[in-house]
Amino acid sequence: MTTLASPDRSIRKGGQAKRHGRGLTGLLLVSAPVMLLGWLIIYPIFNAIGRTLFVKGDAGVRFGFDSYHQFLTDGYSLSNLWLTLWVTAVCAALLMATCLPLALYLRFAKSRVAALVQGLALFPMFVPSVILAYALIRTIGPNGAVDLVLNAVGLPKINSPYLTPWGPIIGLVWDNIPLTTLMLVAGLGGVSDNAVEAARDAGARHFALLRHIILPQIGNAMLVVLSFTVLSIFSAFTLPYVLGPASPEMMGPFMQRTFSQVLDTRMAVTQAVITFIICAGFGAFYVRSIAKNREARR
Amino acid sequence: MTAIDPVTMARDSHVPTHKTKKTDWLGLGIVAVLGLVVVVPLVVVAIWAFAEVWRYPSLLPQEFGLRFWNATLARPDVWGAMFLSIRLSVTVTLLSAIICLPAAYAFARLDFPGRNVLFLSFLASHAFPKFGLLVAIAGIFLNLGLISTFWGVVLIQLVGTLMMMIWIPVAAFQNVDRAMEEAARDAGAGPLRVFWSVSLPQAAPTIFAAVLLSFVGTFYETEGAWLIGAPEIRTMPVLMITFINNQIVVQYGAVLSVLLWIPSFIALMFTRRLVGSASFAKGFGV
Amino acid sequence: MAQLSLKNIGKSFDGTDVIRDISLDVEDGELVCLLGPSGSGKSTILRMAGGFETPDRGAILIDGQDVTRIPPEKRPTGMVFQSHALWSHMSVADNIAFGLKLRRMPRREIQEKVAGALELVGLADYGSRRVWQLSGGQQQRVAIARALVLEPKILLLDEPFASLDQHLREHLREELRDIQRRLGITTLFVTHGQDEALALADRIVVLQGGEIEQVASPDQMYRAPETRFVAGFIGSMNFLACDMRGGRSDHAVFQIEASVSDGPVELAIRPEAIVVTPSATSTARVHRTTDYGTHILVDIDLADGTRVKAMCPPATRLATGQPVSLSADRVTVFRGTEKLADVAPVEMREVAHV
Repeated sequence: MTTLASPDRSIRKGGQAKRHGRGLTGLLLVSAPVMLLGWLIIYPIFNAIGRTLFVKGDAGVRFGFDSYHQFLTDGYSLSNLWLTLWVTAVCAALLMATCLPLALYLRFAKSRVAALVQGLALFPMFVPSVILAYALIRTIGPNGAVDLVLNAVGLPKINSPYLTPWGPIIGLVWDNIPLTTLMLVAGLGGVSDNAVEAARDAGARHFALLRHIILPQIGNAMLVVLSFTVLSIFSAFTLPYVLGPASPEMMGPFMQRTFSQVLDTRMAVTQAVITFIICAGFGAFYVRSIAKNREARR
Repeated sequence: MTAIDPVTMARDSHVPTHKTKKTDWLGLGIVAVLGLVVVVPLVVVAIWAFAEVWRYPSLLPQEFGLRFWNATLARPDVWGAMFLSIRLSVTVTLLSAIICLPAAYAFARLDFPGRNVLFLSFLASHAFPKFGLLVAIAGIFLNLGLISTFWGVVLIQLVGTLMMMIWIPVAAFQNVDRAMEEAARDAGAGPLRVFWSVSLPQAAPTIFAAVLLSFVGTFYETEGAWLIGAPEIRTMPVLMITFINNQIVVQYGAVLSVLLWIPSFIALMFTRRLVGSASFAKGFGV
Repeated sequence: MAQLSLKNIGKSFDGTDVIRDISLDVEDGELVCLLGPSGSGKSTILRMAGGFETPDRGAILIDGQDVTRIPPEKRPTGMVFQSHALWSHMSVADNIAFGLKLRRMPRREIQEKVAGALELVGLADYGSRRVWQLSGGQQQRVAIARALVLEPKILLLDEPFASLDQHLREHLREELRDIQRRLGITTLFVTHGQDEALALADRIVVLQGGEIEQVASPDQMYRAPETRFVAGFIGSMNFLACDMRGGRSDHAVFQIEASVSDGPVELAIRPEAIVVTPSATSTARVHRTTDYGTHILVDIDLADGTRVKAMCPPATRLATGQPVSLSADRVTVFRGTEKLADVAPVEMREVAHV
């Protein structure tokens, strides 16, 4: 389950809070989580960068890009990186293709079936990824349930995605459907019923409606969703580790193996910094739109 | 009622009736597909948990029974992992509530220098790929000797709950109508009394949902536990992974999955309203 | 040009009838207001006329052509929404041009039409503005221009001025009335404000509980309400319960004669129909006077405890507690919801109570 999260919509009220000497109380109350945040998120990032750029040798501290050089010249590392990029791109595309129609349906459907659809779409959020991984192995793995059914009706077995890149792709898409759909529905909440009805009144049919009215209004929301998805998929660990191929492997399992089995901390941290750098654009965009949304809601 | 019929054309001819309660075929289609994709894998696991013999290519197990439940529950490592996971989740959730709830109240209701920047920085911690961050933290923990210790895992999981335990309660406190608090002040209650008698009870259901979500989230947290806890600290999900990897008796994993699914089912019951709400999704920056 | 007919329309949501059985004709160039409290079904009727809801029963005709099943994008109607519903990602001109572009009209022609529409609503230079740069009143004008530019046969307005302040509302109301007259466009207008309906409409349709209470011109609606509901809903009205016996009311103050069967009735009297005269012998007493400048509103407590509102000329001087006698120059008699009689002034004179 994704436990990390972010802002709320109505910070504005807090802005009216009175100032009589509450400044210190407020700071005191938030100090514990802020310190934890500083120690376990902000400091590790800078520490990681420092650790990979400076090496303590016999002749004191030495500056150098050698660990990055090592990564970028190692064919295996690079193929892991490419695999991760490819899986991330495919997942993001599949998620958008699945969740946008789902979100459109949930936003505009008026029947009672919609509640059921919402329940089903949210359901994967409550299935921990370990169980999901296990369930997928039993279902689409070799001799899994799908094979059983195909065999029963006399069709050949499927080419099992287990231990291929498609294993983690299926798992990650499954796992990310709820949040992606929820976020898209929230984005679509900004498109008012009346705005859509006015467009229909002006003569827009389904496709024109989607293209000229709905998509332009949720463009930013879609980019946020995309960034969020990329950030969470790029460094996924459990599903790629259990379902994915052993070689080349995705960055999550690769970092874990480098850290725990190869015991090369510096290289593992280098790999982590490389994931930071690759995700930096999405991360920056994500932070920027959170900040912007909070401005706008104030 | 003597409705004065205003219209020239009264009820002269036949009145056409249409059936507008159209069946929502699209919705039913989506339900069917989602049901297949979402529910079937879990059903398969449930069947496996109660299968004593299931050889390919039979559609259903040859023999049903509870033998593997006994076998799984007789394993000491399962009980060890179970108690460890519960101990971890309780510790992390309690610590998280103790440090986050006051902070959430402060973010929601008090004004202090740097309030917006600090709050934003909590939300922005999503902007880093999570596992990369874990590796960076692990690098530090290695030097501190926290790797493979109970408190190392507590710390890493605590960080994971921070965001949820801050922004959901912040939203909950902000949704308490200020006028309610002011009315209580007006009636003579001091600030602490107002917090205890008005703000907290009003925000309680949402906060409870957040606490439950972080408890369950911690219980299932795999990546931090795997990276920081290995090899000494083996939580339920970690044990589950080793069962999957080592491919020992299939049913062990199935039984564990069914067992493990119980807490998440409870969470589903209690938190669906919160999770389905628009403000929850907006929390992720949309 | 265009005529809109609703024939025996009915609609239910979740098993409850929102619209029971409504028939209504809007004639060419006419402006009809649907007026009613919230939940009366007025918006549903409008949305059915626009094609956003489909009636369960009955038919909708535009110029005699059945459009009941035709979706809004193909219906010759133009709708203005309460929340203006302008598309915030487009400029003002793009908002207006959207429907024309969908119709693949040549660019030149679109520009001309958009300019014309903007001029019509008095926003000639605002085409390149963003929607959120406009005030509430300007946004609503753009919404009107957007609906009109497609030259719909029927203009539908769903409480378009409800979110504006009183002053602006009155101003836009007049402008809308002028535009509607100039174009001669058949218009259906939904409102819950009676002043708006009285000021705008050629005919008013008062709705309650999904049924038509009365259809009448504004002056008729005020002066000759046909049901108890309309009498109470339009303007203010005193209702006094009493019994009729042998064609006479047994009310202590307002004794009227009307050929009405015996039984309980309510006498409905407008405040302005009550004449108040100081009278030392009367048991009715002034409770309070409120000076509105143009008139003085007097609350009077009758001996039986009911309170009556009377509208008096501005020069009236009455003190609180002062005994007064009352007479009414026009009374409508209702039994239940049904109107039984209008009673003319003659019989009413000198009924002061001792």
